[in-house]
Amino acid sequence: MTQYESIIGLETHIQLNTQSKIFCSCKADSWLDAPNSNICPVCTGLPGVLPVLNRKAVEKAMLLASAMQAEIQPVSFFDRKNYFYPDLPKGYQISQYDMPLARGGFIDLPIPDSTGQNTTSYTRRIGITKLHLEEDAGKTKNIGGERQIDFNRCGVPLVEMVTGPDLRTAEEAAHYLFRLRQLLRWIDISEGDMEKGHLRCDANVSIRPVGVDYLNPKTEIKNVNSIDAVRDAISKEIERQIRETEAGQKIEAWTLEWDEDRGILKKMRSKETEADYRYFREPDLLALRIDDAWQNEVVSIQPELPLQRRQRFMNAYQLPEYDADILTSEKKLSDFFETATKAYPGDSKKISNWIMNDLLRILKDRNMQIDQMQLQPADLVEIITMVENGLINTSTGKSLIEKVEDSHQRPSEIVRSENLTRVSDESAIISACKEVLAENPTEVASYKAGKPTLMGWFVGQVMRKTKGKTDPEKAKEIFETLLH
Amino acid sequence: MKELTDLTTREASSLLQRGVISSMELTKASLEIIERLEPSIHAFITLTTELALKQARAADLRLKQARQDKSIPLPPLLGIPIVVKDVLCLKGIRCTAGSRILDNFTAPYTASAVQQLLDAGVVILGKTNTDEFAMGSSTENSGFGATKNPWDINRVPGGSSGGSAAAVCARYASLGLGSDTGGSIRQPASFCGLTGLKVTYGRISRYGLIAYGSSLDTVGALARNADDLFLAFKGMAGYDPMDATSSAEPLGDLNLNEQIDIKGLRIGIPKEYFIAGVQAEVNQAVRAAITLLESQGAVVNEVSLPHTAEALPVYYLIAPAEASANLARFDGVRFGLRATQTSMIEMYKQTRGHGFGSEVKRRIMLGTYALSAGYYDAYYGQAQKVRTLIKRDFDAAFQAVDVIAAPVAPSTAFLFGEHTNDPLAMYLEDVFTLPANLAGIPGLAFPTGFDQNNLPIGMQLMGAPYSEGLLLKTCHAYQQMTEHHLKKPALSTLLSTR
Repeated sequence: MTQYESIIGLETHIQLNTQSKIFCSCKADSWLDAPNSNICPVCTGLPGVLPVLNRKAVEKAMLLASAMQAEIQPVSFFDRKNYFYPDLPKGYQISQYDMPLARGGFIDLPIPDSTGQNTTSYTRRIGITKLHLEEDAGKTKNIGGERQIDFNRCGVPLVEMVTGPDLRTAEEAAHYLFRLRQLLRWIDISEGDMEKGHLRCDANVSIRPVGVDYLNPKTEIKNVNSIDAVRDAISKEIERQIRETEAGQKIEAWTLEWDEDRGILKKMRSKETEADYRYFREPDLLALRIDDAWQNEVVSIQPELPLQRRQRFMNAYQLPEYDADILTSEKKLSDFFETATKAYPGDSKKISNWIMNDLLRILKDRNMQIDQMQLQPADLVEIITMVENGLINTSTGKSLIEKVEDSHQRPSEIVRSENLTRVSDESAIISACKEVLAENPTEVASYKAGKPTLMGWFVGQVMRKTKGKTDPEKAKEIFETLLH
Repeated sequence: MKELTDLTTREASSLLQRGVISSMELTKASLEIIERLEPSIHAFITLTTELALKQARAADLRLKQARQDKSIPLPPLLGIPIVVKDVLCLKGIRCTAGSRILDNFTAPYTASAVQQLLDAGVVILGKTNTDEFAMGSSTENSGFGATKNPWDINRVPGGSSGGSAAAVCARYASLGLGSDTGGSIRQPASFCGLTGLKVTYGRISRYGLIAYGSSLDTVGALARNADDLFLAFKGMAGYDPMDATSSAEPLGDLNLNEQIDIKGLRIGIPKEYFIAGVQAEVNQAVRAAITLLESQGAVVNEVSLPHTAEALPVYYLIAPAEASANLARFDGVRFGLRATQTSMIEMYKQTRGHGFGSEVKRRIMLGTYALSAGYYDAYYGQAQKVRTLIKRDFDAAFQAVDVIAAPVAPSTAFLFGEHTNDPLAMYLEDVFTLPANLAGIPGLAFPTGFDQNNLPIGMQLMGAPYSEGLLLKTCHAYQQMTEHHLKKPALSTLLSTR
């Protein structure tokens, strides 16, 4: 039987999180706003209006281009993409066609093995063929035989980024989107929420027998709005193409639509009937010129990127890949870890453990972001250090994280005010030890008869009596004196 | 004293500022002549009488305050009545672009160029007629009926800014705003015996100008002389943050009131513009004007603009291509005419089918075709390349000369219906004007004589980018020596009997 491999390319649309729209000063984010409340003559395409390019949108696109190692073009152009649709006010979309903002670029995607332990089994380099800026269209809803149009989204800045046919499995496509979303949030250019349409994805899928290098006709899957849906839709399509090819059918260049509710692909149209967009240069905008000075100024604020930081955490702090992956899932979390670990002389893995086991759980329980917490990296270090020094025990330490959140006090203040320290008053420990000895004459006799291992048992009894607050070393010292 | 409506802008401005006349008097004089002549001329699509009276009152208040307090600046256009071509948006006023598809469209904002004039205190009498979406050379393509030429009401006023031209010619106002994409200010100026300026592309903001060919469109004005035109130009020019293609190039210091010496001015005569097919009287009048300038010390030389013949086909690929996209927004969804149809595609078809006139449809089809896959390279792509060559012709010519002198149009004003069945003959009307639009350079039209039918003949001066000042100065020098621009049509024969 023929072995097949699948060839997948993704076309993503990324909504930039600028304050204003790409060609006018209307508010860009309308998520919580009433329909048609963030509109003006420009973004609704009234007669006589002209677009003026938002510099911030260009800069955010430049940040993405630089993060993808793409080549930012010194000169690029805007073009008109012509088609009629009620939610496209001008009858054309201002986009970039043959001279996009950036070309080339790639991302090295770590693909974990199937054990789920986030250990990389291989790395796949995904090429970026083109990255350009364009404006979003409005939204159309069909309600009760009426077509309702919300123009709020018209003119929201989008970056379209297209990969080469470099992905080989549905899983890889899902990983690409996962890493892209992580990156968008990391460099703060998009909220990257697929469900809210901040990140949209079309997938081009074809199959071929393993070992050949030609490409077969591909189908395009549209309207997939979650990473899981992308994975499911591509898997289904690969299965279909293999099934049809095996049955002697030819794969035709269809456009398919993913029906989320039913989990099936529906044919939208044949490629042959696709519109002619009659692209031509947008005469209302000048060439977009990005000189070195501007590029340097923008790219200079680029932070270390997530996959780089992930690798560095593994190298510099000897963290396991699993830890590094989780700690770099978000920039703020990784910053928290790094600040903490730098302030802590001990093993970084200890900081990692506290963050992964306790902090993340609390964040999840409280539905909070790390930077919304009262607990600062220094506080975590203080807690861990107190545990290490025996001033408090581990469970007290863990409960301190929650107490910092609730009380807004520093950990050491809470320990003091709530008297959470282990008992260090010697007379109190002595009397407790004396009580233990008086209550257990048999064990005292055995110990004296030559059973030194009972020392641990005595210490344990004191700990129980003092509810864990006694320093066990101190108790042992006192027992040795008393039993001498 | 002259009739109020015969005053030039400069004269009226001086009388207003000295308190001799009021803006209200001036405005009422305008409204009165409009009422008498408009039934014969039909220069307006929309009259804004209420607005004009309100603006005149406000202008008089400003004038009074400024006379009392010398620290208040007095813009020269304060209190001056003007007319505005109906392709420029004015907030709260219907704006049709001469198209039935915009019959019910009220502009919710004001064009930047108009706003600058409003800030300077002008009084707007109304919105003037135009060929539909400025596509035409006679106003015969207007969805609201054609405008008549005050020199002969059996003839067209030219177009597309024919409404503004007829209005200024008929003394409705001393200034009229227009737009020029291929000659739409200069050709009607020529037909109506006016001075009309097409500015350098980007010199005046296009924001609020209903787009026809975006890379060619310019806002400009028509007046009775270069001096008045200069006031309008100065009032509208400048960088506008709402128009990315507008320029911040300084205007330069100009004072047209002084005697202007044109000694040593290098005038180029492009041989490609003096060709067979041009009315003999036009040729003679233009030659005579050049000779007069030469007698005052200008140096005249022949120049060549080798790609002139290609300008027409290039223009009729680029302008319709851009128009095909610019006019896509008239879809019945958000404003203007909407046909009541249940299906979306039918709604588009009926709205656009009924809303647009035949010339507009012709250009949309031309443009759509020129941009289509498989044809783009041969048509639109090729046209862009030749456009660059046309630009280079001018660049090279302006190395050798300061201005280029040529006829504005091949003939004087033609009769209604003369070209309506022959689109190509109509397109040839623009053959001498559209190269300046393709090159983005300024062009100035002004009267240099009259033909045997007593119809004005226009000459055109073209200059390097941003040389409007030089063109106006040269024209001003010419007008100091001649009286063609002072001739007035026999308006009394047009008076309607109420």
